[in-house]
Amino acid sequence: MKLLLKTSILVIPFIIFSFFYLYLSKDNSYPGADYKNFNLPSFELENLYDESLISNNALKGTYLINIWASWCITCRIEHGFLTQLNDSNIRIVGLNYKDDRDDAIEWLVKYGNPYETVLHDYKGSLALDMGVTGAPETFLVRDQMVVAHYRGEINKMIWGDVFMPLIKGEGLADAK
Amino acid sequence: MLNRFLFLFFISFSLFAEPYYEFNNNEDEKRFFSLIKEIRCPKCTSGSLASSNAPVSEDLKKVIAEMIEDGQSDEDIKNFISDRFGKETLYDTPREPNTYALWYSPFVFLLICLVFFFFRKKS
Repeated sequence: MKLLLKTSILVIPFIIFSFFYLYLSKDNSYPGADYKNFNLPSFELENLYDESLISNNALKGTYLINIWASWCITCRIEHGFLTQLNDSNIRIVGLNYKDDRDDAIEWLVKYGNPYETVLHDYKGSLALDMGVTGAPETFLVRDQMVVAHYRGEINKMIWGDVFMPLIKGEGLADAK
Repeated sequence: MLNRFLFLFFISFSLFAEPYYEFNNNEDEKRFFSLIKEIRCPKCTSGSLASSNAPVSEDLKKVIAEMIEDGQSDEDIKNFISDRFGKETLYDTPREPNTYALWYSPFVFLLICLVFFFFRKKS
């Protein structure tokens, strides 16, 4: 019994220490990232500019879907990085989330439009089907399949750590 | 004269209120209010849909009310939400292989303690 007590005094702290070491030193520092794959939900939404209907089948290839709104302050901060991505020929589809059409257009005129297409999701119906909790959020879509989802602002670091490993060697930049 | 003014003072605005979510019967309404307590708001660190007025929670409550009206089961509704927002939205964690440790490890520990307790040698 004494031996058992002595060994457990050594073993139990060791187990606890290694448990915390394993879990705390793990390098998954992006709680906003989710790599669950799912089909892009079917939708039919209006184009922000000309109100023509766009369906999920109209979007082809590999591209980003970025959820944004003119009322969203973080989107304004993220906007500079999206512009950079667009400049390096990354395709971005904007999903304007619960926003007034005129406000959204004005916002894009004021700060520039990095989006290839902007969908107007006034009721947030597509956003709800995609598991969007707010703005900004960004999805990586490949052939009608969502392969990455990031909740929150994306920047150079997150782009490099979360998205780049998935699109490396694919030539997303040449897709445009 | 004073009485009339007093009467005005006591008119409640809620007299003119209309229900925000409408249901066919009380049973449905009860289901709605118990469901929104069992589902976590995806936008909040920890709070139920009932406690949240974030835009996404408002949308989800609307969807839940509609699905109840459609006659869908609690199971369907919870699946609909956890498919989109992840299993962490369910306060009642499902018993699945990857949650067995969470659910059953306390009993295993208890068992180990009991074994130690009953089989110890008295000095």
